[in-house]
Amino acid sequence: MFWRILRRLLFAHRARLTLVLLALGAGAAVTAALLNLETDAEHRLTTEFRSFGANILITPRNTTAPALSAATLDESVYERLAAQQEAERSRSSALLYVIAEARAPASPEWVPLVIAGHKGDPLIAAEFATLESSPGHGTNCISGTKVAAQLGVRAGDPLLLRNRPVEQTCRISSVIRSGGQEDNQIFVPLDTAQRLASLPQRVSLILAGYYGAPEALQKHIADLAQRIPEADVRGIRQFTEAEAKLYTKIRSLLLATVALILLLTGLCVLAAMAGVAMERERDVGTMKALGGPFSRVLRLFLAEAALLGLLGGAIGGAAGIALSIWLGKTVFGVAAQPRLIVYPVAIGLTVLVAIAGAFPLRRLAGVRPGEILRGVS
Amino acid sequence: MFFRLVADSFSRRLTRKLVTAAALALGMAVATAALSVALDVGDRLAREFRSLGANLLVRPVADSLPLEIGGVDYRPANAGAYLPEADLGKLKMIFWRNNIMGFAPVLEVPAKAMSHDRDDELGLASNRSVWPTIPLIGTWANHSVRLADGAVFETGTGRTNPWWQLMYGRWFAEGAAECVVGKNLARKAGSYVGGRFLRGLPIGDNLVVYRGDSEPPLFLKAVGILDSGGPEDDAVIIPLSIAQQLAGKPGQYRRLYVSALTKPEDDFGRRDPATLSPQEYDRWFCTPYISSIALQIRQALPGTDVSVIRRVAEGEGKILTRVRNLLWLVTLAALLAAGMAVGASSAATVLERRIEIGLMKALGASSGRVGALLAAEQLLLACFGGAAGYALGILLARFLGEMVFGAAPGPSVHVFVVVLGLAAVVTLGGSAVSLLRAARFRPAPILRGE
Repeated sequence: MFWRILRRLLFAHRARLTLVLLALGAGAAVTAALLNLETDAEHRLTTEFRSFGANILITPRNTTAPALSAATLDESVYERLAAQQEAERSRSSALLYVIAEARAPASPEWVPLVIAGHKGDPLIAAEFATLESSPGHGTNCISGTKVAAQLGVRAGDPLLLRNRPVEQTCRISSVIRSGGQEDNQIFVPLDTAQRLASLPQRVSLILAGYYGAPEALQKHIADLAQRIPEADVRGIRQFTEAEAKLYTKIRSLLLATVALILLLTGLCVLAAMAGVAMERERDVGTMKALGGPFSRVLRLFLAEAALLGLLGGAIGGAAGIALSIWLGKTVFGVAAQPRLIVYPVAIGLTVLVAIAGAFPLRRLAGVRPGEILRGVS
Repeated sequence: MFFRLVADSFSRRLTRKLVTAAALALGMAVATAALSVALDVGDRLAREFRSLGANLLVRPVADSLPLEIGGVDYRPANAGAYLPEADLGKLKMIFWRNNIMGFAPVLEVPAKAMSHDRDDELGLASNRSVWPTIPLIGTWANHSVRLADGAVFETGTGRTNPWWQLMYGRWFAEGAAECVVGKNLARKAGSYVGGRFLRGLPIGDNLVVYRGDSEPPLFLKAVGILDSGGPEDDAVIIPLSIAQQLAGKPGQYRRLYVSALTKPEDDFGRRDPATLSPQEYDRWFCTPYISSIALQIRQALPGTDVSVIRRVAEGEGKILTRVRNLLWLVTLAALLAAGMAVGASSAATVLERRIEIGLMKALGASSGRVGALLAAEQLLLACFGGAAGYALGILLARFLGEMVFGAAPGPSVHVFVVVLGLAAVVTLGGSAVSLLRAARFRPAPILRGE
């Protein structure tokens, strides 16, 4: 009997059912979408932050700026890092700086400049704008825009490099602009720079980019420092500090907005549900007139509300997760990972709100069936 | 009669109306708060991004290639070109002067130097040419720039390198024979610099700078220890005027870092200004894109080459755009949810009044009149609910802004209009379906209670 009445309650009035489902579903959709975006935000933000390039610098211990001292690191340090980077959400590249000379084959004049040997992830390239490029075979090098202008060379041209007595040639595969010191440098493969510097298997420094929240980054830096005792590992303060600051701000902004919206959406749905529930006076009156004890009547309505919440939550939650996937794609270019935990949470919240919304029905305990049935209100 | 009916409906079913108005007000409060924050967040975040420091680098256009590694130029002082320091006030005279948050010129002088007491102990005084070479970076710590209009602009490394922190002590005074030592150089045990042992340089000790055999050495008192997390940890920061004196280049500098508040570049901002039509060029020039600010600086400081530090500017632009879009989407979701919940609630109010509607129609009211009556009620609710929601939303936005950025977004008339309009659209839209159904009600069955 209970279930039969429940079924009739739900489906007798299709318009009302649609309305309630709409209100609950909308609330659930927003809840699910926001929760999904919020749980995904850490991953997104830290990935976005890597458009700043590296945030960790690994240099030889007890040395000053790399060019002035002969202190270098062994390349094996880099190999060790590179082998583990997949598991650690980090990327790294090794650099060897040499102050040497270069000239175009047609020009007799050698120009002193900084040559950077590079190996590994094109992490540092995140900051470059490629002005021209001409891919080809052989030893390719990348020229900063100032260097190209000074030497009068373009992409595709050969280039002579010299650090007396060693001479090397390379072919400019692209010209880049960074706005920083890279504009004045030539990037060559690491082994070419090692030959130029006569420092086989050595690197000046290692740059690493770690994708993670600020605390995780600090932990990672401490961890690296322990693993590479021969080197000085430190965060690049300009970026680690700004990242930490921005991360906290953006996260708390998002969190606060989401919490606020969830709260108010809940209240909003609650008010809408309460409005719908209050019109049930007649039904309650009829049931009481037929001899149903009030607790049983209330149970019936609460069961109805819970069922509606479940249904609305299930539909709305699914829609919300789909929405957040689409939103993630539009905002970050990559679809947000659907977090499974979000779905039951959204449904649970919706059921709670729906039941809470049915609570004004308690007021109807004092309803006198006769009055209601006579239409006195 | 019409107004009496509306007024009557409000006075007789006050609780019911209050519940609907509350749903509406809450929904509109969400909309207001989300809109206010989203409108304001771009500016606030752009300011936060200035903790990345300078995003523009100014260099002489006719310069030789700097031998720069990790921010330190290893060229000898007599190579390359210089820029006049006296011109710098012009930076605050450009169109976007208020967006120039700070700037600091830099002049580096690699010099042979030794800490004072070590000098005597090791007996190195006689042979100063074997002293280690230390990069001395001349810049402004706290400098007042006098502008042409008489105003004074305070700037220095605090604005361009906000991540520089003094571990101990204080910054040097302008023009005083003082210096701030990088933390690696300041280490108690000392360190090897260029193959030579340099004893640590604690606060209070003097750095002796060798200026050639014909001149007496320069004594710089260490007054602070710098933690920069960068190559400056191995250098000594000195007042610009002292660096100019050491380099023999009075009133000149080599590099200038500028920190400017910018708008992230969109497709329009990335276009080459040379290809823009005059109107487009005006629009481009009057938008604080980093490229248009760079152009204005180039025009203000002749003989300079202004480059955008892409690492900072690109990352900032990308993240700012993304976060802004994200917040707009959250706002949109909030509007959607608020709209639907409110719509459902107002639909319910119409639905429950079937009997009333039936009665009115039985008494000869046309469908249009009944619709107008209900719509008027809904609009009245929208006005009250919307206004209350706006007030509540502004409070919430203030709270959010204070909490996250320490500054509240100001109330905006646009938001008020949008929120009221939205409230009206949502309530009418929500009740439209029910109203249409109501128009088709046949009075008799309703009155009979079927």
